[in-house]
Amino acid sequence: MNMDHHTTNVILIDDDRELGVMLTDFLRPDRLELTVCGSGEDGLECLASGNFDLVILDIMLPGISGLDALKQIRRTSDVPVIMLTARGDDMDRIIGLEFGADDYLAKPFNPRELVARIKAILRRSQREAPESDRLKLGEIELQPRTRRASVGGDALRLTGTEFEILRCLLETPGEVVSKEQLSERALGRRLLPYDRSIDTHISNLRGKLEQAGNHKESIQNQRGVGYLLIPGE
Amino acid sequence: MRSLLIRIFLSFWLIIAITIGIAAVAGFYYSERSRVAFENFEHGDTILEASVALDKNGRDGLVQWLKNLPGTRNITIYVLDEKRRDILGRRIPGYIARMVSRHRHHLPPPGMRPHDPRNLRRARPLSQLVSADGQVYTLIVSPTPHPPYWGHVPVSSLLFVVALIVSGIVSYLLARAIANPIRKLRDATVSLADGKLDVRVGTSVGKRRDELGMLARDFDSMADKLARAAAQQTELSQNISHELRSPLARMRVALELAKRKAGDLSEFDRINAEAERLDKLIGQILHYTRLDSNPQKEPVQINVGDLITEVVDNVNYECKSDGIDGVSVEASFDASPTMHGYPDALISAVENILRNAVRHSPPNGAVNIRLSQEGATAKIEILDQGKGVDDADLPRLFEPFYRTKEAPDTGTGLGLAIAARAIRLNGGKVTAENSDEGGLRVLIKLPVS
Repeated sequence: MNMDHHTTNVILIDDDRELGVMLTDFLRPDRLELTVCGSGEDGLECLASGNFDLVILDIMLPGISGLDALKQIRRTSDVPVIMLTARGDDMDRIIGLEFGADDYLAKPFNPRELVARIKAILRRSQREAPESDRLKLGEIELQPRTRRASVGGDALRLTGTEFEILRCLLETPGEVVSKEQLSERALGRRLLPYDRSIDTHISNLRGKLEQAGNHKESIQNQRGVGYLLIPGE
Repeated sequence: MRSLLIRIFLSFWLIIAITIGIAAVAGFYYSERSRVAFENFEHGDTILEASVALDKNGRDGLVQWLKNLPGTRNITIYVLDEKRRDILGRRIPGYIARMVSRHRHHLPPPGMRPHDPRNLRRARPLSQLVSADGQVYTLIVSPTPHPPYWGHVPVSSLLFVVALIVSGIVSYLLARAIANPIRKLRDATVSLADGKLDVRVGTSVGKRRDELGMLARDFDSMADKLARAAAQQTELSQNISHELRSPLARMRVALELAKRKAGDLSEFDRINAEAERLDKLIGQILHYTRLDSNPQKEPVQINVGDLITEVVDNVNYECKSDGIDGVSVEASFDASPTMHGYPDALISAVENILRNAVRHSPPNGAVNIRLSQEGATAKIEILDQGKGVDDADLPRLFEPFYRTKEAPDTGTGLGLAIAARAIRLNGGKVTAENSDEGGLRVLIKLPVS
């Protein structure tokens, strides 16, 4: 899956067929091969049968909603998902992230911005593994090379974005990492005004860590600065 | 206060008080008439008749005489024997019994001759007769007691006060029974007008089986219809948003494709900018509409200072990324009030006013936002260094799509209208005035908690 030589398979789940056709044309020069599905049901079927590197999912769909489709995808897969939402609908945006979307883009979007977001997320998946192939703090352990996370030896399922955020925090335990940094590293893009995506991903991450039985280490918010991982006693 | 409660209460009480008063006057009038009849009564004749009857047929004669006595309405004649019991066996009013016992020492001296007219002792109202066998009878003329016999009852004024108090309590309870459901209905109406479309009175007032209960049930069905209409409106505006934005989304992709084929033309940028503006406008219209329908979220505790810090950071960020010539927002805090409200709405209010101020600022100008507190009111003051506004425009500044003549053609015309609505939703008020230094000063007042 090297972007420079191979084609990347992207699936677009959106009932706007004309938009799909035009986006297919628009994305092709960037070696992004778009498969368009007109409904959530079709999209899930397509995803199950094919091998896709990224999902673009409209929140407003006929039949099962974009959110329900997202929930179903997350039950079986950690494939990166970009949600398309309506601008100004804060609720929808945040909910998309809460259910495990990696990023969102308000519709109508600038298609160049869409390409930038897709590439940012894909770049993240391909970043060279750092020197250390094992990060550990307390019971939390990350293996960046294999993208595996565990708490107390039990595997922990994280989305790509959550994994990257936790990795950033684990690299400098006890030190504040700014939201800008987290956005650059985990989402591959700069932080936007009123951007709550990092906060939402952090909140998801906290929930998953606690559910996995980790109560010693905690992710804390430094208001206006960023987040830090506090080592347990 | 002219509330229904007070009015019903006072009218009931007044009516009861007047009734008590009339009854008292009537009672007094009757007792007075009895007294007058009593005082005009010819004792001499009656007593002589009694005396003759006693002489002729002894006690039986006296009983016969008393029974056949033509009745008068206002006078009762009792004849008591030595045991102080009425010879007809009637119950003797207490005051007569007391009177008789006081007059015991008036009994005639022993040995007095029965037939001698001197056996008549007129001890008004106590006259005593002595029979042939030496029995002494006391003849008492008394005004017939009329209940309520207040003419003779010294506790009358106390009774009157008690009656007034009791009737007051009863009137109050009655008035409350009528006014309370009306007040509940009114409260519900006010909440409904405030946008709480889920308010219903069916479980309280609606249980009554009277006209008020019917009114309450009608209120509930009206509220149901309103809630349905509001839900439809929200749905409609969401659909409109979707339908308007889909063509916009296609347009932007088509535009980028056209750019690839035809190269960068300045017209393309123009089309792009207009599309963006249209999108922003749709967003603002939706936002504005939604602020008026009922808020779906629950109000929460807001730290106003933190909220302002966040918005100021974001607006400054926007200024930098939009390349606005060195304009910056500076915040100062004289207090740290908290309030109960809707943070999203408040954020959009402060944000829209700040953006407006930034847009009207001269290059390198500063916008100042100051938070202070005065009693139970949090004050947010936003001051720019622009040219201000014509005084005639000031009152209409917060109307949707109202533009001043000098306004740069960059806003959507909805920012300040959204701000005003969002502040009203939070129970506050917003005003604007020209400051002495020349810029526009916008003042937001919010209730603290």
